Amino acid sequence: MTIAAAAAAALGGAILLLSDGRRALALGVGLLGAGLSGLAVDAGHIVGAVALLAGAIVAAVLRLRSGPAGWAVMPAGSTPRLILTIVTSLIALWIAVSVTSGDGTGLRFAVTALLVMLTVRLMLGAEAAAANTAASGIALTLGAGALLANGGAPDAACIVAAAVAAGMPALPRRETHGA
Amino acid sequence: MEPELTVALPAAGWACAAALRPRPRLALAAGAVFGVGGIVALLLSGPGITSYDLGLPLSVSPVGRALLVVAALALAFIVILAPARAERSTMLAWGLAALAGMAAMAVAPELDIAVMVLLGLVLLQAAALGRRPYASRIRGPLLAIALLGLGLVFARMTGPAALQRLAAVGLVAGLVAAIGALPFVHEFDAEEMTATSPVPWLTFIGPVLAIVVVARGRELMPSAVDVMGALLIAVGLLNMVYGATAAWRVDGGAAAWRYLFMADWGLALCGLGLGVADGLRAALLILFSMLLVRLPLYLWSRQALRENVQNDRPVNLLVAAALAGSAPFAGFPARILLLKGATAMYWPLALVIGPLLLLWIPAGLRLGRTLGTPTGRQLLGVGIALAAGVALGVYPQPLLTLAGL
Repeated sequence: MTIAAAAAAALGGAILLLSDGRRALALGVGLLGAGLSGLAVDAGHIVGAVALLAGAIVAAVLRLRSGPAGWAVMPAGSTPRLILTIVTSLIALWIAVSVTSGDGTGLRFAVTALLVMLTVRLMLGAEAAAANTAASGIALTLGAGALLANGGAPDAACIVAAAVAAGMPALPRRETHGA
Repeated sequence: MEPELTVALPAAGWACAAALRPRPRLALAAGAVFGVGGIVALLLSGPGITSYDLGLPLSVSPVGRALLVVAALALAFIVILAPARAERSTMLAWGLAALAGMAAMAVAPELDIAVMVLLGLVLLQAAALGRRPYASRIRGPLLAIALLGLGLVFARMTGPAALQRLAAVGLVAGLVAAIGALPFVHEFDAEEMTATSPVPWLTFIGPVLAIVVVARGRELMPSAVDVMGALLIAVGLLNMVYGATAAWRVDGGAAAWRYLFMADWGLALCGLGLGVADGLRAALLILFSMLLVRLPLYLWSRQALRENVQNDRPVNLLVAAALAGSAPFAGFPARILLLKGATAMYWPLALVIGPLLLLWIPAGLRLGRTLGTPTGRQLLGVGIALAAGVALGVYPQPLLTLAGL
């Protein structure tokens, strides 16, 4: 269960990093949210898990409404992104398994890998829809990251994260062209 | 009074002001009523008292409360004496949204929630009409949020001590990226509206964010407090050198103002990193001065900057003195406290900071001229801002007492 959820979350992040089309972005954020939700269930936070899953589903459905049409998975020139995906995943796996200790290995792997992948996505010059989706993913990942805390209010963090992630694609996006 | 109201009332004010935008007077009145209500709720809420009404422990620290009060005063000041071309109801709406977000960050029980509130503010600002492309507007702030997130994750992992140090790096880098205290993190367009530009991160939201991140970061990583302090001092020194030099030499007055804000952030970050009471007092004085003196002066200089009007009248020299941190303005005691704190912690640091303070003189003289020839309401505003600077410089104790220092 843990391995499958962590792999699903990382795969969602990889799809977000490697794709430009709205369908792929929606699939990526959905998978990412489902994976993180599974990891939250594994950590015993049912409320947080439901919130993360709901946030991801809403974000994915709203993403399907706008953005570049189609899938556009690994368009031309995406080799550096592919290499970054593999390297990031391996380093995150090393940190989660070898460097750190304690429970929640899957969560540590997924959160570390996703934060780096989604930041890289933004830094590599994402189009607005991809940037928005990456921001939704970052919000969900931050919510899941709160589950690593001993005590505190991790479920509240997941609910806030889900609200931000779901609201992100719904926000009006206005910009002056050619300014 | 509950801390929830300090968030809810400004948020309601923002919603009313935004919804009533076609009727500016009504929007202004509704926003003002809710905004004043928020300040009253903040003043009446006891610092450190925890409320569980929402099922979460919400409380505001004395320092956060003092900064929120000063930010609210600055907002009222800016809106009442708004620059000629600015639409007051829009300024108030943006200010109340920021104030609600800052209050939410200050009362949040966990740094995670504060970071997500920050993300909400980033998205709200990015949703507005801006001159820069959407993706470039959100890139810097989202990088900051991801770095803060990485810092939080590393802080919570169990493992070697290096993880805590990495967490300190993530939190400091995220903070610096969020406020835009290093150049090139946020793209800057001199012609962009202030509310959608990087300036609010530097001058309005940044102070509360910095206090929240530093305070919560120290709680999260007790074994890496020294590393965090050293990083803050290092980034602060870099900002002092780069910001003050660039404010003096860069082309374009608006860019020079931005660099001066960065230089001031250098002082504030050094003060926060020292970890002694005098350092915190110095940082707070710098941040109070940024909110009450420098931000209004920047807004009133924008018209003259657009028209490329420069002047050397006495009022410009007074503004130059205030910006350069000379006595009797707020920057002077802040610098003295900073040097005192640095001497107490590690005296050679004071030998480094002392000469750097001279870099503010040419930058201040240059930016004093950019205010042009203030007249009417603008002159009144400049006078009040300078008087506030003198009051903070001569007798800062009331605000420091409000901050529990």
